[in-house]
Amino acid sequence: MAKYLYNEEAVANLRLSDTSVLDRLVDFESARAAHLKKEHAKKDKRMSLAEAVATYVQDGDIMTDAGFSYVRTPHQAFNEVIRQGKKNLQMIGAPNTNQSFFISYGLVDYSHNSYTGAEMRGIDKSYDRALKAGKVKILSEWSHGGVAQGFKAAQLGTPGVCSKQMLGSDLVRYNPYLQVIQNPLKKDKDPVVFVPALYPDVAIIHCHVADKYGNGYIYGPAVNDLAVAAATRKLIITAEEIVPENDIRYNREGQIIPFFYADAVVELPFGAVPGNMPGCYYWSRQWWEKIMRFGGVSDENMMILLNEWIMGTKNQFEFVEKLGGAKWIAEARRQTKAAEGDNEDIDFSYEEYTLKHDSGLYY
Amino acid sequence: MRDLNAPANPLETLAYIIAQQIHDHSIVYIGTGIPMVAGILAKKTHAPNITIVYESGGQDPIEGDMPWSVGCPFTWRKSPTTMEMSYSFAQCYNGYVDMGFLGFAQVDMYGNVNTHMIGKDFHKPAVRMTGSGGNNDLSSLTENMVLVGLQSPDKFLEKVDFITSVGHLTGGNSRREAGLIGNGPAAVISPWGVYDFHPTSKRMRVKSLTPGVTFDIAQQLTGFELLKPEGDIPDTKLVTPEALKIIRTDVDPRGVFTTMPT
Repeated sequence: MAKYLYNEEAVANLRLSDTSVLDRLVDFESARAAHLKKEHAKKDKRMSLAEAVATYVQDGDIMTDAGFSYVRTPHQAFNEVIRQGKKNLQMIGAPNTNQSFFISYGLVDYSHNSYTGAEMRGIDKSYDRALKAGKVKILSEWSHGGVAQGFKAAQLGTPGVCSKQMLGSDLVRYNPYLQVIQNPLKKDKDPVVFVPALYPDVAIIHCHVADKYGNGYIYGPAVNDLAVAAATRKLIITAEEIVPENDIRYNREGQIIPFFYADAVVELPFGAVPGNMPGCYYWSRQWWEKIMRFGGVSDENMMILLNEWIMGTKNQFEFVEKLGGAKWIAEARRQTKAAEGDNEDIDFSYEEYTLKHDSGLYY
Repeated sequence: MRDLNAPANPLETLAYIIAQQIHDHSIVYIGTGIPMVAGILAKKTHAPNITIVYESGGQDPIEGDMPWSVGCPFTWRKSPTTMEMSYSFAQCYNGYVDMGFLGFAQVDMYGNVNTHMIGKDFHKPAVRMTGSGGNNDLSSLTENMVLVGLQSPDKFLEKVDFITSVGHLTGGNSRREAGLIGNGPAAVISPWGVYDFHPTSKRMRVKSLTPGVTFDIAQQLTGFELLKPEGDIPDTKLVTPEALKIIRTDVDPRGVFTTMPT
């Protein structure tokens, strides 16, 4: 028996027989209890990636995608989640492009979908196949802004926000969490969408630096991660570098996740590979082209690639070696510095991966 | 290096036509793909003082190479600030964004957009696509929207398979009554024509057509009855040799978005 009242039209359209599966994402009471119960003392929370994932990512969890698809996304920690074979996950995020990798391994039962794909590099044919085959079921359809408002509502400390997004669209007919209500301030009819505060179970957020307590600093677009960090029941901070607390106190300004949100701190250089880490390294364009184009052809193709890159590597260092090692690091660093205007412009030409042409290069 | 002498392809034509919609000194919200080319082209030609905003939070970047994503470094290159996603969309709600540009897979006679799926059954679509991303948010909030895509009877439909983003909903005053903000779509642009919406019925209407395209051809490329404007239909102003050169040498020299797929 579900704890909350859901949008009945959406429940029917999505053919959800047991709506209790929807509860935890909006269960403020249990999220608050989890926040009260977690370690509030300022303690050293450093541990290995394997230990952090084993301890804090549990079967059945609602997990978030983070960063922006291929920008500051914790790809290497996600790979560890896959290697450990976590099961029955729900995925949410804006975007949630990277749920597709978990779905390929059958680790995800449910998706709260906002956007799955790689923009100009195309629609995600693996996701298309998985949905049609019933490997994964959509529990709710969102816009990016809707998910962002749900996380932000949690960070604001409110039951939800009234939004003008998604009104009138089929999203509200395929999202059990959304209710269209009257703006109480208005004399005339003025529909708004009540977007409830969203509380995922676990988030992994990749930061530029963190201290051992979990204060994490982000450079470049934070996207939704500051709000997600406040909302989530469990938080793993991974960072390119662990620094002394005073480095954060004296040298870092702007986008900081406070230590008391964090349950685990993992030093993970190259943690966003093969995506882009602002200030650190560029994304591997060919890797993503290979995933979308070669992997897009069939599930078999996709598993060949994923087994090679995820199961075939023990950690991020082996992954970087496969991309080209020190040469890749130098190129990727040069590219991101140039892209951000922190170095001379360079020629961004490269040998694009196509089904007919594989240069074998990843930079 | 791109062939500078080749005639303009439909994507370059599209980019140019979109760019013509952009007024100097305005704030424009840009989605991924061709709109990026158009925004940067406008900035490098007739509208050097526009401010471009992207959904992952980039604000007013200094132009560099063509962005490959709305989150990539070129969308926030030396931006004075980057905004969290919720705040980024809020700029449209709060009235700071003059115009938004988005793509579509399907559009209907009232400018409603589908980027979710092809097919009638949500559980067994012919093709599942990306979902909304920021498409719905911009369409729900932005003062004026310009929709960009390819045109054929299975893309310009009487009814889209899934309403990802509301345009003029069911026409007339229905967009306002549904509670949405802004004027909704001002234009739909395809390589073959520029369309606007009838002021009261809000049905799609021909505004101008690419030279060589007649009303009848445009109608044949459309899955619903197009409205005809009063008087002669003007030709869409085609990409000038100067603008084409700027696209190929300066805006998108590697043809990321403006070479035809092979």
